[in-house]
Amino acid sequence: MSLNFSRDALPLLLVAVGALCLPLLGNDYYLGVGFTLFGWVALAQSWTLVSGLAGYISLGHVVFAGIGGYLLVLTWGAVPIWLGAIVGAVGAGLFALLVGLPVMRVRGPYFVILTFGLAEFAKYVVINIESVLGKFSRLLLGGPALQDLYWVMAALALVGTFSVVVVRRLRLGAGLIAIREDETAAGTLGVPTMRFKLIAFALSALLPGLVGAMFVLRTGYFEPLQAFDPIISFTIVTMAIIGGSEDARGPVLGAIFLVLLSELLWSNFPQVYMVILGVLLIGFVLFAPNGVSGLLDRLASRSLQRPGVGLV
Amino acid sequence: MMKSLMILAAAALAVAWASPSGAADVKIGYSIAKTGLFAPAAPSQINAYNLWAEQVNARGGLNIGGKEKRKIKLVQYDDQSSPGNAVRIYEKLITQDKVDLLLSPWGTPHHFAIASVVERHKFPMIGSTASSVQLRSMKPGNIWFTTAAIPDKLAAAMVGLLKNAGVKTVAILTNQLPFGQENKKFLMPALKAADIKVVVDSDYPPNIKDMTAILAKVKAARPDAILALAYPGDSILYMNKARELGLKAKFQYVMVGPAIGFWRGMFKNAASGIVTLGHWSPHGENARAQAFYAAYLEKFKEEPDYLDSVEAWVSTEILEQAVAKAGLDKDKLRKVISTSNFDTIIGRVQFDGVQNAVTPTGFLQIQDGNIHIVWPKSRATAKWQAKPGWK
Repeated sequence: MSLNFSRDALPLLLVAVGALCLPLLGNDYYLGVGFTLFGWVALAQSWTLVSGLAGYISLGHVVFAGIGGYLLVLTWGAVPIWLGAIVGAVGAGLFALLVGLPVMRVRGPYFVILTFGLAEFAKYVVINIESVLGKFSRLLLGGPALQDLYWVMAALALVGTFSVVVVRRLRLGAGLIAIREDETAAGTLGVPTMRFKLIAFALSALLPGLVGAMFVLRTGYFEPLQAFDPIISFTIVTMAIIGGSEDARGPVLGAIFLVLLSELLWSNFPQVYMVILGVLLIGFVLFAPNGVSGLLDRLASRSLQRPGVGLV
Repeated sequence: MMKSLMILAAAALAVAWASPSGAADVKIGYSIAKTGLFAPAAPSQINAYNLWAEQVNARGGLNIGGKEKRKIKLVQYDDQSSPGNAVRIYEKLITQDKVDLLLSPWGTPHHFAIASVVERHKFPMIGSTASSVQLRSMKPGNIWFTTAAIPDKLAAAMVGLLKNAGVKTVAILTNQLPFGQENKKFLMPALKAADIKVVVDSDYPPNIKDMTAILAKVKAARPDAILALAYPGDSILYMNKARELGLKAKFQYVMVGPAIGFWRGMFKNAASGIVTLGHWSPHGENARAQAFYAAYLEKFKEEPDYLDSVEAWVSTEILEQAVAKAGLDKDKLRKVISTSNFDTIIGRVQFDGVQNAVTPTGFLQIQDGNIHIVWPKSRATAKWQAKPGWK
């Protein structure tokens, strides 16, 4: 198994070195930015497992984070926090297996709409459960400190990146890419399409389950509308587009680019940063359709002729 | 021409340099939902903060411990309605921007989310637009809540007002957002204890688009009172549909919404008789309240929000008085805020732990375009009246 530097080693190095260096800056603000950044990296990597490799674009990835967060909240006080987070991840994975059976039979735009609808549906189910339980948002007092959460999140980002690197090299990864290129042909050639898609979907739900639990611990507060906010799903997709590749590099570059950019913009231009961000994103799609990865490839080869690697 | 311009510019520069540099500005930071789900609610609070800073600066600046006066410079960020962003912003305000003081964000979730930040950095902050029984489980010392509208107290006060109005049957419509649910949780047993019968009990999702089915049920049940535990968006939906169906209940309570200026503009006479959440009115004897009302109306050409603008303003009054006594030292500030009495537009305020121990929970009613306190009787600026129909 050989590692391609730019595709595999670079993103792993970026995450690992970043994780070690950020705390050196020595204040909570940078740790907080790092926590957010690694959260997004983990989410975007897990999304890549199913949407990047298999080409099934999910617009409802937040549902797994929401479920992870909610299970942590439900087990709060009953079991240790780390166990609650793991319950969250396993719960999200099981949920993916369960709904994957029908959902994974649908392709293209129908799949996109279905995943979005499913996430909204899950959100309202949780709202109703909370309402029946007589709960009105949950306050979790006495959670772990930011430092601890930071290291967990950095580890999740690393695991996420590593999982994409590894899965791409497995039979599973090759099968998923074959499915993306032509699902019928892949099936004919003996790729167990349904099984592979299901495995990828369930795998892609595990990390978001943990990330969702970390998000809840960070604010010490759970409310379904926030935990299942569709903006989270949209942001993941945006990062993938900006990152611009279906290997482990895209999500890392996309997340770094978007998080740092929006951080720089809102801290320096708090009144107009959304406008600037919007203009920049449009410019990006127009002038760098292959994302940051494409730009890097172009710089590396110093040739404008070389086709970049598209997202799907 | 060019020459005179140059001289003018040089003079201006000289003035700028020479102006008493004295003390630097006091930096006061906060985050608020300028975009996202809660954005419509934020201006009520932002306006109050801006008005306060402007007034203080016009008076020569913020009185720091009786020793000096320094101009206020507000540092504001958009949290996009996300409590997670609010956490990051308050961390940035404290550790990066190194602000001298903090003001609170909009909404209960945001207050709860940043409570652990101010606690960790031991940075006292006076809360404003937040309410939940859960706030009492917070560690006192670095966060305080000005509100009197906490759901368990609200339920008790509401039953008092309902009995006073001779209500025997009620319909309860509840938004599934946290504040609605929490109010309902405490209202149900309180109603039962008071022998008031609940004839309709219906929950609805936050983004409800049509209330016809629910309100038709209410109409058929003919309750004496309708308690719409609503937020601003669905409160408008309720009003339109209730007017269309001609709901005749003599007591109609719309929880959050009617206190906002534009809301009353929308419904004019039809809003007459609507009861809503709140414990402030400019029509009483409090001179501070009258002055605030007049200044707000003049600057923004609209009335303040009787809930959010008021809570935000009260938090600035407390901060200003505390800083005048304690200066900017965090330990001294914490002590002064925890133990002192403050003079505000809702009357005297003193904290017991994290909550306002003085201001009684109350309700407002729209009467002829004015908003009056109708409950409790001790603070009422007018008597409760049956809703006069929809006109």
